[in-house]
Amino acid sequence: MQLEKILTAGIGELDLCDIAVYREQGGYAQFERAVKELQPAAIVDIAAKSGLRGRGGAGFPTGRKWQFLPNNGRPRYMVCNCDEAEPGTFKDRMLLEYTPHQIIEGILIGTYAIGSRHAYMYIRGEFKRGYETFMKALEQARAADYVGERLFGSDYSVELTVHRGAGAYICGEETALLNSLEGKRGEPRLKPPFPAIKGLYGEPTVVNNVETLGYLPHILRRGPEWFAGVGTPKSTGYKIVSMSGHVQKPGNYEIPLGLPMRTLVYDIAGGLPPGRKFMGIQPGGGSSACLFEEHLDLGYDYEALAGAGSMLGSGAAVVFDDTTDFVKAAHSLVRFFAHESCGQCTPCREGGNWLEMTLERMLHGRGVESDVDMLVDVSHSMTGINLCPLGDSIEPFLASVVKRFPEQFYAYVRTPQTAVAV
Amino acid sequence: MTTQPSVKTVTVTVDGVSLSVPEGTLLVEAAKQIQEDIPVYCYHTKLGPAGLCRICLVEIEKMPKLQIACNTVVTDGMVVHTASDKTMEGRRAVLEFLLLNHPLDCPICDKGGECDLQDFSMAYGQGASRKVEAKVAKPKAVDLGPTIVLDEERCIVCQRCVRFDDIITQERSLVVKDRGHRDIIATSTEEPYVSDFSGNVTELCPVGALTSKTYRFKSRPWDLNRTKTTCTQCSVGCQLYVDERYGDVLRTMSVAEDETSDGWLCDRGRYNIGFYNDPQRIASPLLRRGDEWEQIGWDDAVALWARQIREARDTTGPESIGVIGGGRLLNEEAFLLQHLFRSLGVENLDWRAGRQTVATPVFSGTYEELEAAQTILVFGVPPSQTAPVMDLRIRKAVVQRGARLVTVGPHSSGSSVTETHVRRVADIPSDAFDAERIAVVFDGIDATPMRDLHERFAELKRAGKSLIGFIPGEQPNARGAEAMGMLPRDGGRGTREVFSAAKDGGIRVLSLFGVNPALRFADGALATAALERTPFIVLSELFLTDTARFASLVLPAHGPFERDGHVLDMTGRVQRLFAAHAAPGGALSDGEMLVALADALDIEIPSPSALTARARAPEKRAMPRGEIRAAAPGGEAALRVIIRSDIFAGGGTVYHDERLEELRPRPIATLHPRTAQALGVAAGDLVDVIAGDRALRGLIVRVADAASEGTIRVVDGLPGAPANVLFDGEEVQVTKLEPAAPLAAAGAVAG
Repeated sequence: MQLEKILTAGIGELDLCDIAVYREQGGYAQFERAVKELQPAAIVDIAAKSGLRGRGGAGFPTGRKWQFLPNNGRPRYMVCNCDEAEPGTFKDRMLLEYTPHQIIEGILIGTYAIGSRHAYMYIRGEFKRGYETFMKALEQARAADYVGERLFGSDYSVELTVHRGAGAYICGEETALLNSLEGKRGEPRLKPPFPAIKGLYGEPTVVNNVETLGYLPHILRRGPEWFAGVGTPKSTGYKIVSMSGHVQKPGNYEIPLGLPMRTLVYDIAGGLPPGRKFMGIQPGGGSSACLFEEHLDLGYDYEALAGAGSMLGSGAAVVFDDTTDFVKAAHSLVRFFAHESCGQCTPCREGGNWLEMTLERMLHGRGVESDVDMLVDVSHSMTGINLCPLGDSIEPFLASVVKRFPEQFYAYVRTPQTAVAV
Repeated sequence: MTTQPSVKTVTVTVDGVSLSVPEGTLLVEAAKQIQEDIPVYCYHTKLGPAGLCRICLVEIEKMPKLQIACNTVVTDGMVVHTASDKTMEGRRAVLEFLLLNHPLDCPICDKGGECDLQDFSMAYGQGASRKVEAKVAKPKAVDLGPTIVLDEERCIVCQRCVRFDDIITQERSLVVKDRGHRDIIATSTEEPYVSDFSGNVTELCPVGALTSKTYRFKSRPWDLNRTKTTCTQCSVGCQLYVDERYGDVLRTMSVAEDETSDGWLCDRGRYNIGFYNDPQRIASPLLRRGDEWEQIGWDDAVALWARQIREARDTTGPESIGVIGGGRLLNEEAFLLQHLFRSLGVENLDWRAGRQTVATPVFSGTYEELEAAQTILVFGVPPSQTAPVMDLRIRKAVVQRGARLVTVGPHSSGSSVTETHVRRVADIPSDAFDAERIAVVFDGIDATPMRDLHERFAELKRAGKSLIGFIPGEQPNARGAEAMGMLPRDGGRGTREVFSAAKDGGIRVLSLFGVNPALRFADGALATAALERTPFIVLSELFLTDTARFASLVLPAHGPFERDGHVLDMTGRVQRLFAAHAAPGGALSDGEMLVALADALDIEIPSPSALTARARAPEKRAMPRGEIRAAAPGGEAALRVIIRSDIFAGGGTVYHDERLEELRPRPIATLHPRTAQALGVAAGDLVDVIAGDRALRGLIVRVADAASEGTIRVVDGLPGAPANVLFDGEEVQVTKLEPAAPLAAAGAVAG
């Protein structure tokens, strides 16, 4: 199946890290046009009309997010979230390493649109190569006067500051990211107030994902109607899906939203290895619930996946075949979330570790029958009562696979007896 | 004052009860109106919401998930269920999580019996844990600093301590370290947790993680007898609870709703409680026999005292009698004291015994008004070391309400907040006076700046601005003493004049009440000379202080928590004291001593009820402004002496509280690096500080970049190293530093 490439166009064919190459492809023209010809409010309108939604995981409409900023005369900040660390997600890293100028242009357009003059790029600490590539690109952009004072002869000036994280998954949560950016402990903030009201350094702030911002130059060039015309009425445009797990051609694929998952798995990602049977797919990152055979004809879009009890999230789809040990898969994810809990709030700090220890015990053959129910019960207890979404990330996958494959979990429980409380 | 805009009210229904509360009220606070206490750990009224512990989850109609009551602002028509099945399930879950790794060592935990984790587990918990794995092991009995011990396993990471250190003291030394279930409380620098407000974290801690070294393993809360009284360690007047058991004062606790303290205590007030049963405390009247003290009975002591007074009056006249005291007495006692001696014609009455010269400001204000001031001018010794809890108000005004802090004089604020520090009155930024609400904090020592600014202040008043003054002086009830008349009038002499007269042999009998001029009086040499020449000195005290060396008769008095009566705090508010501890059998209160003396001298005194009425109705009576000292002359200073105050200095209750040893200041002389170099001394050297014919012996040199060049900073009130010998009431200049004689130095360090 032939897909139209938007953000991923030219990757693997052209050296888009070179500003000259990027400009030959029409790069930076939209930013220049924006500053010269468009009012910031007009760009906000365009973003809203395009139906573009946040590609980092929450799927919040970008235009509406921008509209929340108060008109209070305070400085505003644009923060680009490149702290990609959701298990199974590797799209932002690719964009960072192969098309940094596209990200810069997206950031600049977004910054201009919200009436800000200072943008921050927050890059995951482990992305060393991406960071270096981005810094070189930023130097080129600065030298070409796309970043700096009085751009294109206008009175618009903009600064872009790059900051590297130190390896905490939680810093991908926007308020933890802001704390980290301010030099504080990377812990999510209590909301309200939301960043739009009180964000970076206490000022109105927008935090947008790399991919979200990357679409802006394309939407400006081809018009919001073009973007809105792709996908479904509520899930418009394109999305990069990171396909991994038991598929023959894992990788990043840019698809129009709403594409049936069956097409995604079998046509685009090459299907399962020969002789294997499809058991499930986790469609939207480590914190999404597992979907199964009966869901494969659903469209890959925000509404359809949510309707099936899962989510699109960051667009990281992991496919499981019949060799999968779902107890081990669950343990792997639970261990990740327990390890990454910042420890601020009780259910996430304590519950994650408890579940991890319970699964470990089961894997070591010391589980008891009641553990299986307890896994479901405890993961449910710790959900919906946390300060940030991290604590809610364990239940969806764990509960969905326990429910679907109980026999796999009971197989680890050798002696049917009740756990003794101590 | 600006008028508050009228606040809209909203109506919220909590458990079927309809409540009207001001717009913006947090649900957790609104629920208190109907005594529906929503459980909290991390939330605290004075720290605000943090949203960490999740125990305050409640069900709110039309919201799919449980919401935390601590960060939910009530809106009109909101319907809340604090005891629904869903709410209770949320609480049960949170408590199960909290107890997963919390040791169940309640039987040996100091918090047991007053622990929120224990209480809420009993009320909302499920009884048994489903966890079978071992609990996480973390450090226990961590020595966090001189006052606090931390048990990391008991910690539920509510971060109240961290937020107190951040929001209230602004000192930011406590932090959370590591992550997830391995996180611990620590100091950011790995250095000990040192703060003058450290004890508050033990009260804020909802579990037994943070405990006071002075109280660990001492008692169960239900065995304590609790009395609410007023702290008289300084002039702030904080209310506090004194918890006593079998004759021992075991701990003090803050009073959350107290408007004076704002719910906090400083460590001096909280921890200086270990002296009541000190073996060195005087237990009966002592009469000097050469170099020995002889224990005598009260009848003999009072008879001797009365005889000496009568003889002096009848032979050399009432002007040969002096009385110093009042700043540590109750209002009742101060009134009785001046009444008694005035009945004898004695007018040499004064409460001043240190460096402080005035106690009553011209325009008084409340602490709430201080907090609301837009400009706060601090003159002289910073209140952080003389009235610490007041300094928290200043920090709050600066940080939370945007006030501007300007410190004037040799000291910067010693506080943790942003300030403008100027040395001279003339350098005060003139726009500091543009504010509508101005507060002046003045140490009561050198009134020159007040005189220099007199016209300015009068102008501000005429312009209708709010101008209020505070004098956080050295003695807790100096203002009460002034109001009760313990100050010279009708030709009477003040302390300095009495000492001048005594030095020339003009004073025969000197009665001292809870004062220590040998260590504290502004002119140490004058005080010593005066005390040496005075034939008969009576001293009412708890301990044999530096001044007792000169006394003929020492009378054992009651300590701070052993008194019933009234004092005035520095704002002029009447504060009540209730006895919380029984004084030693041989001691009498100063009031009882005075009643006995009046009886022996046949002087009629007011009835107890009349005295109480008098104590509760203070007159505003300030030291005549003529008493204010003149400005120090400038000169080619060799080295200017700056006297530093320290809340743990002093020759009395702190000196005799062995548990505070670590907190007592050392005899240190602080110099700027260049000054030290010029003088040829280095950090750690032991030196004698020489100023003309005066010498302060055995100080340890400390070199600090923060020190001002050309100055030497020494701590006031250290027995063994009395800085007042360098001070003659005016700015003195040190001429040189000499290496200390080894013996003297060793003695000073040991002292």
